[in-house]
Amino acid sequence: MNLQIRPTLLGLLREGAGPWLVAAQVALALAVLVNAVYIAKQRIDKIGHPTGIDVEQVFVIRSAGFTPRYQHAATIRADLEYLRSVPDVEAASVMDYAPLVGRGNRVRFMLKQGDMAHGVRAAIHSVDDQALDVLGVKLVAGRNFLPQDILPPKMGDAAETTVSQVVISRVLADALFPDGQAVGKGVYATGGFVSSPAIITGVIENLDGHTMNKDNQQHVAFLPRLPYPDEPAATYAVRVRPGRMPQVMSTVEKHFEAPDPDRFIDWIHPLQYFKDRASIADRNMTTFLIVVTVLLLSITAFGVFGLATFNVGTRTKQIGTRRAVGARRIDIIGQYIVENWLITTAGVIVGCALALGAGSWLSSEYQLPRLDLYYLVAGIPALWIIGLLAAWYPARRAAAISPATATRAV
Amino acid sequence: MFAYYGRLALRSLASTPGLTALMVLAIGLGIGVCVTILTVYHGVSSNPLWWKSDRVYAVTMDAWNPAEPAYPERPHLAPPQLTYIDATYLAASDVPLRKVITYPVNAVVSGGVNAGRAFKTRTRITTGDFFGMFDVPFQYGGGWTAAADAGPQNVIVLSRALNAKLFGGASGVGQTIRWNDREFQVIGVLNDWQPLPRFYDMNTGPFDDPEDAYIPWGWGRVLAQITSGTLRCWNTAEPVDTYEQVAASSCAWIQMWVELPDASARERMQTVLDAYWSEQRSALRFQRPRNNRLTNVAQWLRDQEIVQDDNRMLVRLAFAFLVVCLINTAGLLLAKFLNSAPASGIRRALGASRLHIFMQHIVEAGILAAGGCIVGLLLSAAGLWGLRVLYANSTETGSGYAGFSYVDSATLVWALVLTVVTTLLAGSYPAWRIGRVPPTVYLKSQ
Repeated sequence: MNLQIRPTLLGLLREGAGPWLVAAQVALALAVLVNAVYIAKQRIDKIGHPTGIDVEQVFVIRSAGFTPRYQHAATIRADLEYLRSVPDVEAASVMDYAPLVGRGNRVRFMLKQGDMAHGVRAAIHSVDDQALDVLGVKLVAGRNFLPQDILPPKMGDAAETTVSQVVISRVLADALFPDGQAVGKGVYATGGFVSSPAIITGVIENLDGHTMNKDNQQHVAFLPRLPYPDEPAATYAVRVRPGRMPQVMSTVEKHFEAPDPDRFIDWIHPLQYFKDRASIADRNMTTFLIVVTVLLLSITAFGVFGLATFNVGTRTKQIGTRRAVGARRIDIIGQYIVENWLITTAGVIVGCALALGAGSWLSSEYQLPRLDLYYLVAGIPALWIIGLLAAWYPARRAAAISPATATRAV
Repeated sequence: MFAYYGRLALRSLASTPGLTALMVLAIGLGIGVCVTILTVYHGVSSNPLWWKSDRVYAVTMDAWNPAEPAYPERPHLAPPQLTYIDATYLAASDVPLRKVITYPVNAVVSGGVNAGRAFKTRTRITTGDFFGMFDVPFQYGGGWTAAADAGPQNVIVLSRALNAKLFGGASGVGQTIRWNDREFQVIGVLNDWQPLPRFYDMNTGPFDDPEDAYIPWGWGRVLAQITSGTLRCWNTAEPVDTYEQVAASSCAWIQMWVELPDASARERMQTVLDAYWSEQRSALRFQRPRNNRLTNVAQWLRDQEIVQDDNRMLVRLAFAFLVVCLINTAGLLLAKFLNSAPASGIRRALGASRLHIFMQHIVEAGILAAGGCIVGLLLSAAGLWGLRVLYANSTETGSGYAGFSYVDSATLVWALVLTVVTTLLAGSYPAWRIGRVPPTVYLKSQ
């Protein structure tokens, strides 16, 4: 096969705007493809990141009082006693807000009183001594809270309800003490949630805090205290034996449905529900990007296909003449493939510039990481192959033109 | 003449069915994808009170921590909410036509035909101007007056959904229901109302549904109901355990809106804010730089960054997609028209003017546009159906994207116009080029 690039190129240059329009399509398609795939990849990574929690085994209930008769501490005690007595429940814990639920308090931890400029933002959870067991979070250093460490709900600034110990996640410990032991050190916090200073009694494996999709979502601190009664409510996290979740949840739901004149059950959900909810935006964005990119590539392929097919029709005579003077089928196919490859390549070259431009614009406008060049390198052959596949059928049809028919036709 | 062009065009299109289908599909896809994405964009970035953009303003003042701005990432803005002290003082001004100070609370409501059951509801504690200022539609009854706020009177307004839960299909107006452990008389039932985003309070879930019940402002203090929304405090020295302590504190938790009918009212309101600021500053409150703002809804949405990056990115993507579809159609049309150039040459030689040739091709492009339009509408319907499926999860989980499940008429009209204009533009270049070719070229080549 003799690939005649020069005559093909010269022929193309005389074709007018048609090939240029196809090349422009290829260029835009490459720019969109590369950036869309890159963004989608980041979203997929984000959705799949480990939460650090045994999400599949935990469900959460939120209960809230609504009359002045509601007895906060007594209700919590009774509820926990009930939950721990249910068969197949491995552990139950009470907290103000559970991890992943999308709501809770954040404070800034500091090494010096009032040094907000060097503070580290973190999610705080008021929990009891069983929170680690329920969530399946391992202790890395120090110790967990003991039952007697758990303080009553906060009431004003009374010293006996001010937390003086905290357990923090490993990334938070590393952020506060980049080069050393955190256990036993004192920290300060904004918002009056802990004493000044509070002592770090333990460091735990990383886990997601109450709010996902925030920076530093694994900066988490546990405070040993029953939930805050400002909106008199409590969240129970319950760990269930694997596979028993539906049965246990329905048993527990029935128990809590019994009418209580002073409180109601706000909701009861598996923790997985909140994890899925938090990633909805990312999942939708990924779906959008993939659908639009696939459609865009199809349109581009159809454009290449349409133009090539059309050219076969208009060049019947020319092809027939070439065949009559000795060109083989493979030469005709070669001519089409080369022609198409030249068009695609022109598009790819412009497309590389466009992709890089779009990538750097996206990273400056939306604070995304800069486009990884591997994606561009992988995108180029992708478009070559798409162009080749789209031109293959028209090229075969061109090669099928018999010299005799061609010369006879007008 | 147009009928003749039409016949010519149809014959020409029918002679290349595959190519015609490809062009119609390309146009249709471009439109379908654009409409779908712009519906999402429209849903999250539109101004739900656009007709009052020059009348309704959010009131903000920077009473935050002298040491740092409320939002370090947006240092030029004051906190989006006011302290109780400032909100109640400013709401006493008689400059605005209407004034709203408001916040959400949680409560349990029971009564009506389902007397045995209690429903947890999100309730908005607000001054009565809320309904008039935001043009909230009523199905039955109406709102309350300032007297009911001051009293406060035992009156309540229900959402359509809560009214349906409590009273089945009937109007609950005039009935008495229990709100927590107190009795309230229903005086109004709202019609369907879902501003997207919920601009008047975007502190929690900007795309959440509006509250289910509304009670007069005065109940907040009487029942000691602090906000269930966002209470932001910076002064850790202040106690914030009781309602009175929170009300006296520097915590920001109240949304304030005013309706100012003209520029002079706006200036007077600004003067009220500035005068109050100066007075309070000399009393050692307001230690941050002066930042007293009246912000209209459109600017408010921009300031609070409600138009999410994802959606802006998707609009760019939709645009790129449309451009590719148009280039595609233009390329195919060009090839097709150039191929039919000899026929045009003969028509020119027989006396057709350039304009006639141009018009004939434009009619052909127009027919393609119409076809693309129909396909585009079908694909938009499919795309929106896809959106509904995609967002079904969110609706279940209360993120409330229900508004995306319909296209408003503006988007539809916009799509149709876009289809026709873009296709005609795509067709006009080849039509113009063919019209310019001297007929002799084609006659000779025969």
